[in-house]
Amino acid sequence: MLYGKNYTSIRLVFLFLSGVMLLFIVAPLLGLFFSTSVPGLFETFRDKEVTSSIGLSLGVSALFTLLAAFFALPLAYIMAHKEFRGKAIIQGLIDIPIVLPHSAAGIAVLGFISRDSALGKFADLFGLNLVGSPFAIGVAMAFVSVPFLINAARDGFLAVPGRLEQAARSLGASPFKVFRQISLPLAKPSVITGLVMMFARGMSEFGAVVIVAYHPMTTPVLIFDRFNSYGLDYARPVAVLFIIICILVFIALRLLGRKRKET
Amino acid sequence: MLSCTNMEYSIGAFSLRNFSLELERGDYCALLGPSGSGKTIILELIAGLRPLKKGSVVIDGKDHTLTPPQHRPVGLLFQDYALFPHMSVYENIAYPLKIRGKEKAEVRETVHAFAAELDISRHLNRMPGTLSGGEKQRVALARTLVIHPMVLLLDEPMSALDAPLRESSVALLRSVSEKGITILHVTHDPSEVDSLANRRIHLGSRSK
Repeated sequence: MLYGKNYTSIRLVFLFLSGVMLLFIVAPLLGLFFSTSVPGLFETFRDKEVTSSIGLSLGVSALFTLLAAFFALPLAYIMAHKEFRGKAIIQGLIDIPIVLPHSAAGIAVLGFISRDSALGKFADLFGLNLVGSPFAIGVAMAFVSVPFLINAARDGFLAVPGRLEQAARSLGASPFKVFRQISLPLAKPSVITGLVMMFARGMSEFGAVVIVAYHPMTTPVLIFDRFNSYGLDYARPVAVLFIIICILVFIALRLLGRKRKET
Repeated sequence: MLSCTNMEYSIGAFSLRNFSLELERGDYCALLGPSGSGKTIILELIAGLRPLKKGSVVIDGKDHTLTPPQHRPVGLLFQDYALFPHMSVYENIAYPLKIRGKEKAEVRETVHAFAAELDISRHLNRMPGTLSGGEKQRVALARTLVIHPMVLLLDEPMSALDAPLRESSVALLRSVSEKGITILHVTHDPSEVDSLANRRIHLGSRSK
């Protein structure tokens, strides 16, 4: 009886704490939505500066997520399958962008692409300035978000039974075919989750992007710019619109991933 | 047909030393030994899934010691059958044929022929997760046999089967053996191979 009473009390405490946590996440968002008028939202939707910034954020993030996947998936596969000296150091390196302050990450990326760097000098040969370009935005987005893809894909590859890969080898598959036809399809749900996480994290990045490219403006930079120049009322509708689009894209990609998993 | 000479391999606390084996074409050899005695590792060494430290593997007169697993004339039936869960039964059996670049019509014809022979034609559209242990074994066997291996390696093929299914599995393996394929059958249960093996090797002792 005493046990049952304790159990109920603990459950109530846990439910209360969980409720506070959920409220902490939902309340600012609801406050944002309720303080924005629908006509104001439509007006923002017709604002070309806003729509082009949303297009830039989504497009660059999607492109650099796909580009990064080309390199990140082989790295994730190696991290899942190979044991080697210094593996823990490599894993630490992969996780560094997650723990860095994003403004510091932006400074690091800026050093990598500025005119003084090897890459910047190379681009300069063709008359290109990487700083302030969509390329800079993409590199900054990818830098801070690629660990999400690598780690999710690594976990997916780890979950593929080694027996299946051995079976494929013994049936005549080369190591690359094993990767493409067995490991990758079986790890696909985790890989898709990683791609979605990287894409979502990339398109919402502010700290690193604002340092490498204030213009052209991504939506997070535009929200900051409007807040800084005109105040909260001007920044709020853009923020609401971007949040709605982020949520819609996020739901669509998750549904796509689930549908593929079911098929 | 299959000649393994002075094979040496070690991993962790396990080590295999000077293991040799000589099988003729059509031999059905049982490799007996308790769990942990390295039976499966020997099969994986012959299949090329593990690199030999020393020794050689010669199949049909050709040295395959350094041949990658995908180029060895060897079929390996895994203990848990290792069917690809994201492919249908048909796709599982067709997999080694597609890898070899066979024409679609030839793949279809071969898969249907082997499915009919192993009595799994009605399961071709099913997914491996829905099959019983005996059905899985037949599918895995069909998938291995379509590549016409010179040597068939069986890793505890009956360990996942109930007693009634074992009898039909014995009959199935006998029919495969009668085709003249050299078979090396690993098991910890000598009664399993009573009516099948013409040779027996106990790990740690010499072939008789």
